[in-house]
Amino acid sequence: MRIVVDRTKCSSIGLCEATAPDIFEVGPDGALNILMDDVPAGRRIDLEQACENCPTQALSIED
Amino acid sequence: MTTTLTRAERPYDPADLSSHEFWEGTAEDREKTFAELRANRPISWHRPVKNGMFEDPNDQGFWAVVRHADLVEVTRRPGDFLSGKGITFESFPPEMLDAAQGFIAMDPPRHTKIRRLMAAAFTPKQLARIDEHIVANSRRIVDDIIRKGADKGQIDFVTEVASLVPMNNICDMVGIPEEHRRTVAYESQFADGWRDPRLLQGAEPLARLAQTIMTVHGIAHELIGQRRSKPENDLMTALVQAEVDGERFTDDDTSSIFALLIIAGNDTTRQSISHGMKALTDFPEQRAWLMEDLEGRLPMAVEEIIRWATPIMTFRRTAAHDTELGGHHITEGDKVIMFYSSANRDPEVFDHPERLDLSRWPNKHVAFGGGGIHHCLGAQLARRQITATFRELLTRLPDIRTVGEPELGNGNFFHTVMSMQAEFTPENAR
Repeated sequence: MRIVVDRTKCSSIGLCEATAPDIFEVGPDGALNILMDDVPAGRRIDLEQACENCPTQALSIED
Repeated sequence: MTTTLTRAERPYDPADLSSHEFWEGTAEDREKTFAELRANRPISWHRPVKNGMFEDPNDQGFWAVVRHADLVEVTRRPGDFLSGKGITFESFPPEMLDAAQGFIAMDPPRHTKIRRLMAAAFTPKQLARIDEHIVANSRRIVDDIIRKGADKGQIDFVTEVASLVPMNNICDMVGIPEEHRRTVAYESQFADGWRDPRLLQGAEPLARLAQTIMTVHGIAHELIGQRRSKPENDLMTALVQAEVDGERFTDDDTSSIFALLIIAGNDTTRQSISHGMKALTDFPEQRAWLMEDLEGRLPMAVEEIIRWATPIMTFRRTAAHDTELGGHHITEGDKVIMFYSSANRDPEVFDHPERLDLSRWPNKHVAFGGGGIHHCLGAQLARRQITATFRELLTRLPDIRTVGEPELGNGNFFHTVMSMQAEFTPENAR
């Protein structure tokens, strides 16, 4: 599984990082970094929650 | 059923959320009204707030959103419910909004870009890096009250503790030197305290508010000049160097962001620490439970203290167009007020919300927002400050407690504690 970030929407509010800090990180320049290129299937619930929590609907999952 | 009455035709709800008396009372008094509305009329239309200032002849009232779920929904529909028309009940003049409310009173796409820029300074990793400064600031404040209270063990908790914690931390981050710190912390109180005769001391509210804006902008302009000629490792430098869409901020933009940071930074954490100290005094069995494993239980306790305090009681949005909310037809331009104090007492979400339960977990309070684009930028900073302060207070002054009832503010935005006495046994201090 892969996480896709829509950079035009992402405001780096960081709620995804609060959900899964090992996958998402707001970097020192304020841009969102994805720390895992290929997210194991067992983490689907975390990813779905991060997508759902995103205030700007900037995240999506690509299988 | 959807009703499509115009603003002028809508009948007002009989519950009072608009009078001066309502906001002058205590949170427990207001909760009686919120409980009735949550149970029976979760979205209701009310007459405009009475405050004698900024009363707009075209202001016909506001929708009150009192349930947790509805508040979250409004927060998460920023395209339907705008911030750019103002974030408080009052219809402040636009130039005042521009001068004092920064990106909190902005909508996308401009909000998105500025927020992203600011996020860099408030990331969890960045805050972990400055945590030792936050801890040191709380330690110094407790050192000082031990020294000052050495003979009698009596202090004004707000002046000597609660207001100093955020003042020092936000000023460290922004880069405000010592000589301006007390001024910006004091002036920030007028953001909501412009209606309070105890703060105004005879001044005319609008003139006093204008004076606050001039004072704060004066300090901002001075710092902008200094950082341009000599950059430092602080937020003020980041702001003067920042580019959004290839353009630098104007000095007025930077000043407005500066004003937002000092108001939001000072007037929130201050209230959480004050209400927290009062709660730990009022519920000794909760405090005893916390002390059994302070380090392990503090993270949970801090969340509950923040829910209990709910330092920002309301935020407003304005309908961008005709839309629906909870079966009600909302007309373009309607004011929609979210009541955080009420959502944080919603029994649909919290078991026995009327109880302080420091072991409450998960704690889905909305004190930092309902998860929308304006979600509190400083949430992690606030948590770290409150944690550091109670760790110092409770371990070094084991019997510190508040005395009597606090003197509360009369505003409708911040849940203000103006002053509150506390005492401790100097011999037990360590």
